[in-house]
Amino acid sequence: MTALAQDTAHPVLEARGVTMVFGGLTALNDVSLRLDRGKIVGLIGPNGAGKTTFFNCLTGLYTPTKGTVLLSGRRLAPDPSEVTIAGVARTFQNIRLFPNMTVLENVLVGRHCRMRQGPIASLLHGPSFRREENAAKQRSRELLAFVGLASAEDEIARNLPYGDQRRLEIARALATDPKVLLLDEPTAGMNPQETEAARQLIFAIRDTGVSVVVIEHDIKFIFGLCDSVSVLVQGELLVEGRPEVVRADPRVIEAYLGKPPEEIESETRGAAEQDKREKP
Amino acid sequence: MTTLLQQIANGIALGATIGLIALGYTMVYGIIQLINFAHGEVFMVGAFGGLATYRWLLPEGIRGDWYLSLPLMLLGGVVVAVTVALLMERFAYRPLRNAPRLAPLITALGVSIVLQEAIRLWFPDADAAQPFPKAFLDAQIKIGPISLRATQLLLIAVSIVLSVLLQTYVNRSKMGRAMRATAQDPDTARLMGINPNRVIVLTFAIGAALAGVAGVLYGIDITNVDNAIGFQNGIFAFTAAVLGGIGSLRGAVIGAFVIGLIKTLGGQYMPGGTQYDYVWIFVVLILVLVFRPQGLFGEAERVRA
Amino acid sequence: MNMVSSVQTAKKLSGSLVPSPAAAKPLAVVGGVLAIVAALLPWVTFRFNDGPYPELATLQFFDAPLQVTGFRLHLLLFGVAAVAVALVPKVPGRGRVLRALGWGVFAVSLVTTVFIVGLGGGLGAATAADGASAFGGIVGVLAGLLLVLSAAATGVGEVPRWSTDVPKPVAWLALLLAFACVLYLVSLTLTAGGLGGASNPYAGPVFLAFLGMAGGLLGALNGVGLVKWISVLSERHRGFSIVVLLLCALALPLTEAGTDYWMTVATTIGVYAATAIGLNVVVGLAGLLDLGYVAFMGVGAFVGANLSGAAAAKLGITLPFPVAALVAAVIAGIIGAIVGSPTLRVRGDYLAIVTLAFGEIFTRSAQNDIGGLTGGPNAIPGIPAVSIGGTAFNQPLEVGGLELPGGVLYYFMIVLVVGAVMAIFANLKNSRIGRAWIAIREDEDAARAMGIKTGRAKILAFLTGATLAGLAGAIFAHKLGTASYDSFKFLESVTLLAAVILGGMGTIPGAVLGAALLFVLPEKLREFSDYRLLIFGLALVFIMRFRPQGLVPDRVRRAELAGETAEGKSIQQVEEALVAEQESVDHAPERDAKGDRS
Repeated sequence: MTALAQDTAHPVLEARGVTMVFGGLTALNDVSLRLDRGKIVGLIGPNGAGKTTFFNCLTGLYTPTKGTVLLSGRRLAPDPSEVTIAGVARTFQNIRLFPNMTVLENVLVGRHCRMRQGPIASLLHGPSFRREENAAKQRSRELLAFVGLASAEDEIARNLPYGDQRRLEIARALATDPKVLLLDEPTAGMNPQETEAARQLIFAIRDTGVSVVVIEHDIKFIFGLCDSVSVLVQGELLVEGRPEVVRADPRVIEAYLGKPPEEIESETRGAAEQDKREKP
Repeated sequence: MTTLLQQIANGIALGATIGLIALGYTMVYGIIQLINFAHGEVFMVGAFGGLATYRWLLPEGIRGDWYLSLPLMLLGGVVVAVTVALLMERFAYRPLRNAPRLAPLITALGVSIVLQEAIRLWFPDADAAQPFPKAFLDAQIKIGPISLRATQLLLIAVSIVLSVLLQTYVNRSKMGRAMRATAQDPDTARLMGINPNRVIVLTFAIGAALAGVAGVLYGIDITNVDNAIGFQNGIFAFTAAVLGGIGSLRGAVIGAFVIGLIKTLGGQYMPGGTQYDYVWIFVVLILVLVFRPQGLFGEAERVRA
Repeated sequence: MNMVSSVQTAKKLSGSLVPSPAAAKPLAVVGGVLAIVAALLPWVTFRFNDGPYPELATLQFFDAPLQVTGFRLHLLLFGVAAVAVALVPKVPGRGRVLRALGWGVFAVSLVTTVFIVGLGGGLGAATAADGASAFGGIVGVLAGLLLVLSAAATGVGEVPRWSTDVPKPVAWLALLLAFACVLYLVSLTLTAGGLGGASNPYAGPVFLAFLGMAGGLLGALNGVGLVKWISVLSERHRGFSIVVLLLCALALPLTEAGTDYWMTVATTIGVYAATAIGLNVVVGLAGLLDLGYVAFMGVGAFVGANLSGAAAAKLGITLPFPVAALVAAVIAGIIGAIVGSPTLRVRGDYLAIVTLAFGEIFTRSAQNDIGGLTGGPNAIPGIPAVSIGGTAFNQPLEVGGLELPGGVLYYFMIVLVVGAVMAIFANLKNSRIGRAWIAIREDEDAARAMGIKTGRAKILAFLTGATLAGLAGAIFAHKLGTASYDSFKFLESVTLLAAVILGGMGTIPGAVLGAALLFVLPEKLREFSDYRLLIFGLALVFIMRFRPQGLVPDRVRRAELAGETAEGKSIQQVEEALVAEQESVDHAPERDAKGDRS
């Protein structure tokens, strides 16, 4: 942590000129993003703008055709497990828990990369093994309490209500001790109360020193949450800046069908819900 | 040189058989992403269907006339193969359509064992290899230095004709379009009014018909059949389908010829001779799956996230 | 398995046939009384040529009132139990108990009747012919069905939970009794019907009827909550349970099953159980379908054989057995890792095919005596038996006046090995590595996003599984005295896989139970040996269709397989988790859809 504190020259996460081409299709074209320590950055854009593709490039699930991703000034290898070990954790748009493990086990899997047990220790279950195991369990329980799932630790993940599954995914991501947390549509399919709870949770995460990038359809949610907002349209970065600036930008309004902000909100909200229903 | 050419010719003849089976694998996989492990047994059952037709249905008088008996045996083989394939689709695979993928694969293994054993137990005398009637010209045909049996040439010709017909059908006909649509995106296809069950049934039926034809022709060529021909040739055909890019019709046929050549040439020129020709095919299978799982003609799969 | 499937079918049918709750008690009483009556009626109208059907099935009760033994005794007891359960107020889990008893009565009666009809050459054998009448079978089947109906009318609730806060001595006593009963049941199961074969033509049906009884009994005990209680207690007193269980296993030679023959069978079961547990690491935990697994067992067997000092072995090296077994395990493990590494690039079905291909290459090479190491079709015969201090393991043993059957030392060894393998499996499963494996099985991309190096984890799974198989293979070769490629073919891989699946993927008792069933049944059903493979194939199809989670489902696996198999839902799942499911259905559409693809 001290090393990190000294490293104020670099943004905690930075994407430079990320381009992603599938076959002949350019999904992302020269997208850059900068996330400073302790900040929350929002990523918005219409469906198919390439937001999730961008996340996949950031987390190493895709290898960008061009461009680099830097964590505290150091290049991230395009490998999901390496990226996570380096300190970037994520959630998925269409929730990807380990559906048949318990809630606690899901979070324990998140602790995986911060644990040291090798095969031999796992075979023998010696004292140091048990110490580490207990520490991991304790940390996982803290995180479950943090996201409000303390009472559900023995449930099978797939049996959790939808909103709880999203929160569990966040707890699991936090268990990897990330410096940066990437949230892909954390409020999709949530009702207003749940959305507000999610907003408070993200603030709380930020307050623990984790920097956050959020993809959202819900523009109101994003503008009430983020320190900075980037707008992606058709794979290109359209605007980037403080929420009030972005909100007023004519190009953004144009991109959202040329309608005033209030309508945009209701439109995108509807789209988000529809998107959720149709999701494969 | 003569040996080489001769082995190439033999390889192509073997490839023709494998190709007809491989088409069934590749079509079913294309539509429902199922490795129908029991498809090789459909081929085997088809051969026995043809044999049964000859033994018990053909009147004495026309047995000698191959132009009468062969079509009838083919018909018998195809009917049996298609019936078996449709039964297994309906009762073994369809109930598992939404199950985890492990389930249909294991079911397919089970079906495969059941079919082998059913033939062994209930086809008269089939616990040992059965002589197959020579329902075609029993002649050697010389082409330059190469000598091929007439039955091998028949296999090659039928295989090519049927593959071309199938390709045309899938590309041109309405039902073929429905098949391609279902393979691409079953949900959207359903929205467009395509009944996926009909498409799947048709796919199984076509694949089985081809396997049935292959079974009968193979029997005539080899002149005896047992209940193990399905497993071995099925594996070859599966390898061919993978090699050509599973889901691709043309790939399956080309892959089959490649496999046929590997077997005959490997048996001739590789160390260990024919005792190990089988091994080379598996080596190729492993190499292809590991290094180019999309096959020679398939497209790379994108990671989903 | 067939019984399970018919449970399902009956379940579907009974949707429209469920009688009103008021009819439950009378139905149960009538069913129970009928079962008692069936036990006392004659079952066969005439004497079979091969000797009287066991347990004097031709007799009238009144001819020999003390001769009600065997399956008739079982029916009698089940009938009495059913009446008691129906009449005694406040029986916990009454519906479940009645259902289990009903299916037990049904299975026992059906097996016996079908056999009698089959061997007697017609329905007359089990009804009336030549002036004699024998309606025991028909009445028994009817009694079973009535009991099942009464269970449906009673309604089947949750398995009752008993308080597990009992003082230590009580818990220990309960566990001791429970495990002793298990030992007794195992010994009875092994010996039920005796050896199949020409001299004992009724072994098959007697054994099957016994299985039906045992299934009904276990179901009933589970229904009242006893099984759950015991399992919670044993979980709580783990150390004690393990010691007692081990002692019970070691005591098997002292029971009726203590003959050379059953020691050999039990040892073979042990070898395959250890292998199946290894396969369970690969398939059950890591979710990597391996169709060539038996090849590793083969590697272990051939390495062990070559180091054993057998005259036919090419390498003239003779190592003491423990060292040879260790070397075999290590080499198999290394080969497992090598085979595993290219498969990392391959997922799902393709992985299965690659492993199948490796397995076939192994078989082919062994068949052709590759490098002179496998003996080819001649195998490597004459592997000397393991011995300690001059006592060969295949000899009978006398310890302090106690006569122990031949092969008992092999049996002891395999019990210890299986115990060790179980411990390895359990420890790995409950560790960082085990969780990583399960995470990979559940969702590989998400696992990588959690920082799991999936490649390394998969190779480790292959290595672990192959090592265990190699060890089992070395023991197998020494026990058998020969190592032949014929023992390690594709079908063996499928059988092992079936053992894992039948028992329940990801669980230890599952793998052991599956292996036991798959290797005991052929011994018992010799007269059906020609149909062995056919039945086996059908069983695979039916298990996948009706009980994909296996006999002893893993908590986790059950949820997955039962939940996702739209039509193949387990009965418990439907009944126990209706509420939970209703709840998750509201939120589940996209989760289910996703599960299909992964």
